[in-house]
Amino acid sequence: MMKKSIVSIGLALLIAGCNATTPEKPMTLKEQYEAALARTQAAVKKAASVDGEWRDIRWKKSKKKYLPKAIEAAKAGDYEKALKLLKIAEFQAEMGYKQAMAEKDAGPHLYGL
Amino acid sequence: MTSNNHRFSGLAGSLLLAAGLVITAQASAAEDPVSAGKKIAFDRKKGNCLACHQIEGGTLAGNIAPPLLAMKHRFPDKAKLRAQIWDARKNNPRTIMPPFGPHRILSEKEIDLVTEFIHSL
Amino acid sequence: MRKIATLLLSAGLVAVSTQAVSGPKEDLEKFRTYFEQKFPGLQLDEFGNGVYALDASKRLQWEAMEEFPPYEEFVDKGREIWEKPFKNGKRFADCFGKDPSKVRVKYPRWDAERQQVVTLELAINDCRKKNGEKPFKWKKGPIAWLSAYLGYEARGQKIDVKIPNDPKALEAYEKGKHFFYAKRGQLNMACADCHVKYPGHFIRGNLLSPALGHVTHFPVFRAKWEKKSKSGDGLGTLHRRYGGCNKQVRARPFPAQSEQYRNLEFFHQYMSNGLTINAPGYRE
Ligand code: HEC
Ligand code: HEC
Repeated sequence: MMKKSIVSIGLALLIAGCNATTPEKPMTLKEQYEAALARTQAAVKKAASVDGEWRDIRWKKSKKKYLPKAIEAAKAGDYEKALKLLKIAEFQAEMGYKQAMAEKDAGPHLYGL
Repeated sequence: MTSNNHRFSGLAGSLLLAAGLVITAQASAAEDPVSAGKKIAFDRKKGNCLACHQIEGGTLAGNIAPPLLAMKHRFPDKAKLRAQIWDARKNNPRTIMPPFGPHRILSEKEIDLVTEFIHSL
Repeated sequence: MRKIATLLLSAGLVAVSTQAVSGPKEDLEKFRTYFEQKFPGLQLDEFGNGVYALDASKRLQWEAMEEFPPYEEFVDKGREIWEKPFKNGKRFADCFGKDPSKVRVKYPRWDAERQQVVTLELAINDCRKKNGEKPFKWKKGPIAWLSAYLGYEARGQKIDVKIPNDPKALEAYEKGKHFFYAKRGQLNMACADCHVKYPGHFIRGNLLSPALGHVTHFPVFRAKWEKKSKSGDGLGTLHRRYGGCNKQVRARPFPAQSEQYRNLEFFHQYMSNGLTINAPGYRE
């Protein structure tokens, strides 16, 4: 019992310590990119799962292809550009999902028939 | 010596800054908000308002929507006009007019400029 | 006593009216009535002519085109494909029956065994695979030629899609119907926005066609596709057109013959039941 609470206090201190040190060690651009990429990929998957994906996120014939172009930019070391493109892709994926949800009950009644 | 240097670079900096201001001022004088807005409104990849609205100065306009004219009269309040352009769904949830703001088809700045143009009609 | 009667009566009415909103048959009636009222005086079969039923000057040009139709040589190629034996000696007729004029009207159909919608194009490639041949590409070329030939042979017959009373078939129909009425893409538009709400209006320089009659002339020969093709082959399937209409609202198109498009076709063709097949057609 006693031991357990000491351990948890220690753990709490450790966590607090970690929290306190994060602002001093900001994520590198590469880390930010990796986090944004994972978020975007998840959002795109979610939009696709409800047939809500928009044209310019990654479709092969799109001229914009934000997601693959972000990955390309990161490969070339341009993380800032990659992050900019990912921001658009993630936004579009989220909106596509939201749109599909909002349109769930779409039907002829909405068009007066 | 060092302090002189500092003063000098400070002066150079403000000179450059001033020059920069003049340049941007000139650029926006050449491109006033109304004509900048017109370009965006007519651009097929941007506003493409002509797809549905007749607008003076535009060719091959569609006729899905009411022609945009006498807009100051229709929208004395410019903010109301901007709101209509930003998201037409507020007035008609099933409208065919694209939600330019919420879907980021146009940026906020671009919507400002388009509003200036449409309000001038 | 009277009370009971009214109760029974209103219960009956409720039952009837819920049925009325849900069944394909009622959907079709409302759909057709809507267009007949929107374009009073237009003969039912005229809807199969798309924008040319609505615009007299466009119609004149189109009629001139149809005098020497540019799709004719591709219909002939389709006939050759129909007749030519596979390497195993069998032919398409072994899959579809001997009479090429009896094929088009059977599709799209609900396949109870496979629990999915089978379109004419899907059936064409199924037949090829069954006979050890490589499947055709989905959207243009030989599949469109053969489909155009089978459509040409079926000219004059009526679209007759059957939606069996099977929950899975109804589900596929409902999915296709939902696809048609749901807004999608960055521009937030539904098929119904352009082809139900605004047919007869211009979007930029394009006159919008009514969804009623959309499918009767597919595959279609388009001037736009002809220009894109090195060999002057402007024929394309219905799903090729679906992809084009999806991407112009900045939605990601689905692959031709995907479940989404087959379900859409099931609904879309059913809505034109009773209209005369006039495939292939010519369009801008
Ligand atoms: C796809 C068709 C379409 C496009 C593109 C479109 N609109 Fe509209 N717009 C409409 C329709 C339809 C209406 C009528 C109201 C409604 O149904 O929402 C409308 C209404 C308006 C109104 C209100 C008019 C009034 O008198 O009340 C304004 C202002 C307007 N649109 C501006 C624009 C601008 C600016 C653009 C381009 C940035 C644009 N629209 C693009 C279809 C469109
Ligand atoms: C922004 C408006 C718009 C939307 C939304 C749209 N279309 Fe179209 N569609 C057009 C235009 C423009 C044409 C060419 C002119 C015409 O025939 O209507 C066309 C043509 C067609 C044709 C060929 C008509 C013919 O006579 O050959 C079909 C079929 C079609 N669309 C189906 C669809 C389907 C299904 C959807 C939804 C997935 C859809 N469209 C969404 C604008 C639209």
